[in-house]
Amino acid sequence: MLKVENLTKVYPNGTQALNGVSFEVTQGEFLAVIGLSGSGKSTLLRCINRLIEPTSGKILWDDIDITAAKGAEIRKIRRQIGMVFQQFNLVKRSSVMTNVLTGRLGYVPTLSSILGIFPPSDRQKAIDDLAMVGLEDKTHVRADSLSGGQQQRVGIARALMQEPKMILADEPVASLDPVLAHSILKYLEKLNKEFGITVLCSLHFLDLVHRYATRAIALKDGYLVFNGLPKEIDDTQFKSIYGQEAERISII
Amino acid sequence: MTLLKENKQKNPALVTFASAFVPGLGQIISKKLWRGIAFFVLILISAFLTDWSFIHFNIGKIQISALTTTWLWLPVAIVWLWNIFDSYFVAKNKTINLLPAILCACIVLYVIAWNITKINIGHMVSNFGDMKTILTQLANPDILSTQENGHTVVCGWKCATDFVINKIQGKPSQLIVPSQNLGNIFGQQGKVDPPFWQVWLGMAKKGQKIPGTETGKLVETIAIGLMATIFSTILAVPVSFLAAHNIMSRVPGGQPVYFVVRLILNFVRAIDTVVWGLIIIVWVGLGSYAGVIALTVHSVAALAKLFSEEIEHIDPGPVEAIEATGGDFFQIIRFAVIPQIIPPFLSYTLLRWDINMRSATVIGFVAGGGIGFFVVETIRMGAYQMYAAALWAVAVVIILVDAISSYWRNRILEDKPQKQKKHGQKFLTIIYILVGVVVFLYCWQVDGINLRDLLNPGSNFGSIIHDFISIDLSSSVVGGMVKDLIVTVMQAFMATTLGALIAFPFSFLAAKNLTGANPFTKILFYASRSLFNVLRSIEALLYVAIFVFWVGIGPFAGMLALAITSFALIGKLFSEAIENIDSGPIEAVNATGANVFQMIRFAVLPQIIPPFVSYLIYQWDINIRMATIIGFAGGGGIGLTLLTYFGSLQYHKAGTVVLGIVLIVAAMDFTSAKIREELV
Repeated sequence: MLKVENLTKVYPNGTQALNGVSFEVTQGEFLAVIGLSGSGKSTLLRCINRLIEPTSGKILWDDIDITAAKGAEIRKIRRQIGMVFQQFNLVKRSSVMTNVLTGRLGYVPTLSSILGIFPPSDRQKAIDDLAMVGLEDKTHVRADSLSGGQQQRVGIARALMQEPKMILADEPVASLDPVLAHSILKYLEKLNKEFGITVLCSLHFLDLVHRYATRAIALKDGYLVFNGLPKEIDDTQFKSIYGQEAERISII
Repeated sequence: MTLLKENKQKNPALVTFASAFVPGLGQIISKKLWRGIAFFVLILISAFLTDWSFIHFNIGKIQISALTTTWLWLPVAIVWLWNIFDSYFVAKNKTINLLPAILCACIVLYVIAWNITKINIGHMVSNFGDMKTILTQLANPDILSTQENGHTVVCGWKCATDFVINKIQGKPSQLIVPSQNLGNIFGQQGKVDPPFWQVWLGMAKKGQKIPGTETGKLVETIAIGLMATIFSTILAVPVSFLAAHNIMSRVPGGQPVYFVVRLILNFVRAIDTVVWGLIIIVWVGLGSYAGVIALTVHSVAALAKLFSEEIEHIDPGPVEAIEATGGDFFQIIRFAVIPQIIPPFLSYTLLRWDINMRSATVIGFVAGGGIGFFVVETIRMGAYQMYAAALWAVAVVIILVDAISSYWRNRILEDKPQKQKKHGQKFLTIIYILVGVVVFLYCWQVDGINLRDLLNPGSNFGSIIHDFISIDLSSSVVGGMVKDLIVTVMQAFMATTLGALIAFPFSFLAAKNLTGANPFTKILFYASRSLFNVLRSIEALLYVAIFVFWVGIGPFAGMLALAITSFALIGKLFSEAIENIDSGPIEAVNATGANVFQMIRFAVLPQIIPPFVSYLIYQWDINIRMATIIGFAGGGGIGLTLLTYFGSLQYHKAGTVVLGIVLIVAAMDFTSAKIREELV
């Protein structure tokens, strides 16, 4: 369903973030993206929904060329792709409800949404999605009064509002305590298994990759250096992804 | 490593030679750009001032056989020499003590500043008798009156205390009533124009006088400040989006709009509110309405700049998230930008309200209307007890506004999540809105706001604008302007120095961590804090009259008025800096067995000198703005020239002066920000 061909990104300051990256994702996969900080994981995920403009290369989404889409077309593609962020990216002063409803912005008319008017069906869906992540009792509190783990669950509910075919998760557990990492990833796994939503998730810890991912790709200095099953990452592979100095560590 | 060495080891002889010819060039060659520029500017300015002040004022005149010159060239030469030494040492990667150079530059500046602000201590001492008379009158403001031999006279403190004592002892005494003057300030019963709604409802005719409450001058002033704040906030919000880089870079063709809007904002901001008053009265005529517009124009620019900086500093995370859901530009603004900027916008609006209230007290000097106009009238009549009552009234109102504004600013910036909504909150909200609407309409009425006048300026308005824009660059006008501008800058310089010298000892008394501990010093703490607050609440322009009475019209009087407000603000800032000292170093130095003086030298001074210097420069910056208008009340400087040009309808010359003010204020703004950035 998603096909990335020769994707390259050079930032204006000359940094080569991605270098001819090509891979494919099929419907229903849980694909982990691994690599060191600065290896290009965030850039790759953001190129897929065009939050960052790729320099060259192609991204095909159900045979539509994302890289060629413009204006309204790109927004239509974006609304089918949910995104979950490392820093949650909630509007801290707005209520949990408002934050979740922003997931519908790609579907509702601009004018009514600006006036804060959403269809009752959307509000009901917001409550259902919050219940799904176990936050039905937090609907009307401000986002910044929640804990980090709860905020990330709001982030997942917001992505779910888009009725996405795919979710891009950029280091969704890197800002959380290790204990909470599993709880968040279990929600993503649930969406993946029960609703068949494809998940592209960048992760730091290999044992999380082993536990949740169906497949993994690895980036190093903008190059794709691995593409295969998580269990195929042996010590040689590991050293080539993370460098000779790296040691395997695990959490929990 | 070799590359690094090559870079640093410039030929010292060559570099020194370069600095001997062009000051600072050697330092720039040695890659010390700002050090070089600082030397260049310092020497250029002191040489120019020395030459200029000798030609125009004969400052420092000496006769060496046939040659007449000024001895001020000597310190200038020493600064030059030091610049050469410095470039030599910099080239050798060493440092030299810059104190002698700084001292010599100070000598040049202070000698010139002292002379051209016409400081005359002898005059001050010989006229001290006059000052005592006016101080007595200031201490006995015209707020109560009593009957004496069939005449109404002011009832001062003595009369009031006698009255109270007589009452307590049960003796008969003269009746005391609030004076006519108090009524003029706060409002009283009288004949008034009917309010617009009575005209609409047919209860009164236009132009008819009906019995009612005359609006007090102070009430009018409060209305001016409030209306200007409301209007400027409403206008500044959309403008701030046009001046925010992160927003405009998302809009096609937004970049040029951003630059143009920023440029206009900086230009409008550099012209003081009172100067705007002069321009606006040409448009809509005299009155509090002109005051509202003048304050609004300046406030829109100041607020839009602050607002746009807030927009640029928002957390980009939510913007990214909303964009990723497929939201469009307007949805991003509504759901990611606006929720983030509401608290800082509200806080800046409250701060602006405080500033606008202060400006509203002086806008009447040129625009007519409000307490400023009232003060001008009392000074013209020489009625200093009436003037005193106005000053006290202003102090009370401004201190209140200051307290309310800072309380709410702190509450807003804490930005706590709201607790569960209380029962009846909706009802309260409706009451607040209703009160707000009534106050708004009342202020609208009081200030005589009239949108039709705004859209229909006089028929010759176009030609006036044309005249104003076609600035006069003839040498007589420019020469006169340069002279006035130098006087203005020097006034600000002397006022900052004087204010700081007096404020320094007081600031230690007003620091809670030093004097807040025991009951005796606590009195000193509260006394000095109150002194700062009362003096700070009155604008320098309102003080000028006192000093004109003491030392006569001219730059000296203006400088003294500025020194009073500088004293109050610097004192407040200094004492807060002392309160913010980190106690860790003090503990550490004490632990080494150091005595009190060693402790102050090594633990306290290093912590307070950078903020002190930064505040001094900040105050000088503020004083230059203030000094441009101090002439409106007889305080010397560029203000009087500007007033004369406007008064005699020479708009092309007024345009030149306004441009000069903009340039000097903008230059000072830039320099001050640059230096403070380096310090902090």
